[in-house]
Amino acid sequence: MPNQNGNVYGLTILSPIINAPAGDVSHDCAIRDYLASLPRDHHSPFAKISSTHLARLVVMDDVVFVGTPAREEHLKSKYLVFETNFDGDLDAYLASMARDAPDEVHAVWQHCVGYPGTQDPAAFAAYMKKCQLETTFFFADVNDKTVQQTLRALKVQAGVAHFIESNQGKSPAEIQAAFRQFLDKVRHAPEPLAGEYERTHVPARGQGAVVRTQPLAGEHEGQPNG
Amino acid sequence: MTNINGKTYAMNAITPMNAFYTPILKLIFFILGHVKPLQADLINLSFIHFARWVVVKRHKFPRLSEKQPEEHLHYDYLLFFSNFNGTWNQYIDAFADVLSNGLNLIWRWSAKFPGSRPVTAFKRYIALVQFDTDYYYVAYPRATANDVKAAHRVNAALEDFARNSKDMTPADFGSAYLKFVTQVQADLGATGIGPVGT
Repeated sequence: MPNQNGNVYGLTILSPIINAPAGDVSHDCAIRDYLASLPRDHHSPFAKISSTHLARLVVMDDVVFVGTPAREEHLKSKYLVFETNFDGDLDAYLASMARDAPDEVHAVWQHCVGYPGTQDPAAFAAYMKKCQLETTFFFADVNDKTVQQTLRALKVQAGVAHFIESNQGKSPAEIQAAFRQFLDKVRHAPEPLAGEYERTHVPARGQGAVVRTQPLAGEHEGQPNG
Repeated sequence: MTNINGKTYAMNAITPMNAFYTPILKLIFFILGHVKPLQADLINLSFIHFARWVVVKRHKFPRLSEKQPEEHLHYDYLLFFSNFNGTWNQYIDAFADVLSNGLNLIWRWSAKFPGSRPVTAFKRYIALVQFDTDYYYVAYPRATANDVKAAHRVNAALEDFARNSKDMTPADFGSAYLKFVTQVQADLGATGIGPVGT
């Protein structure tokens, strides 16, 4: 099925936006205004819809005229494009949208034609499926790991780097003891937050891998040290 | 407008396509989807988390109500959505350098597509047909596609090492630990802030 690549589903939704010229604010502008204020980090509604790897919302104003001799034409409606990449199957994802982020979903889709609300998850799912476009070709670089597996792996990767660096020069017995503690810490670490911008681990200089956000003195853009 | 979140860029593009060509393009995608070696260059580029092409037939734009005006279009449309790492220019340059033939095969059916080389005309075309993202969420904004793959390799190596070294003597553990470090050392780059650029 072209919508699926491995365990990842690629959902493409095109929801027609209500056209009401007599209204105070046009619905496409209202969507854009709302989206501009929506958090994009771990407070994002998509962090609550926890199987989401990456998602975007786009107001598509019109099709594009590429110049003569192509024909110029225009859409009669504007469309809200919803492109998302998630783990699992479509029904579970749509149910999660209605259950886990009903206010945000409503704030966006209330401006779209035929939107039934989120109170009835079955009606919401049926509506979304009417707006769904079948993906013609879907590429996923990693298609066999869930969001949580990836977040955890990234945290473990940072932890391993720090462990190796901070245990250099120690005896095998000391490293073995430290490794047992490290492993225990890894096993009992809390679930990482999706969408989080916070650094997972930034040890002090000389005590682990240092993540620099500013160039060092004498280092110029395009000529990194080392 | 927010095309970038952390290290990932969201690109949207739409190109008009003569309806006559749609079955040809769908056949090309069908072959690309079923003959995995044809995706090798795309995989080896390794800076795309997810990408998709969607053909919308001219009479298949969703219509949810009788009150919604019906679309009367001459062209079918090819939508392209990509989630890639790096800047716009790096992406287009790499695409044109490595996937030139593949890109031409996909977009040659779109009106006025100039070909992916020379890259100046190609960039002008992409800029024309691209539209901006209003909201973009990334579950792991500080990680590139390569970071993700490296992290999973480190994770798997750690699990193996933990399992195999459980009952070792300190001397045996020392040698196994060195092998483990050698195995994962190339995958330990730190994640961090995204690049600045367009």
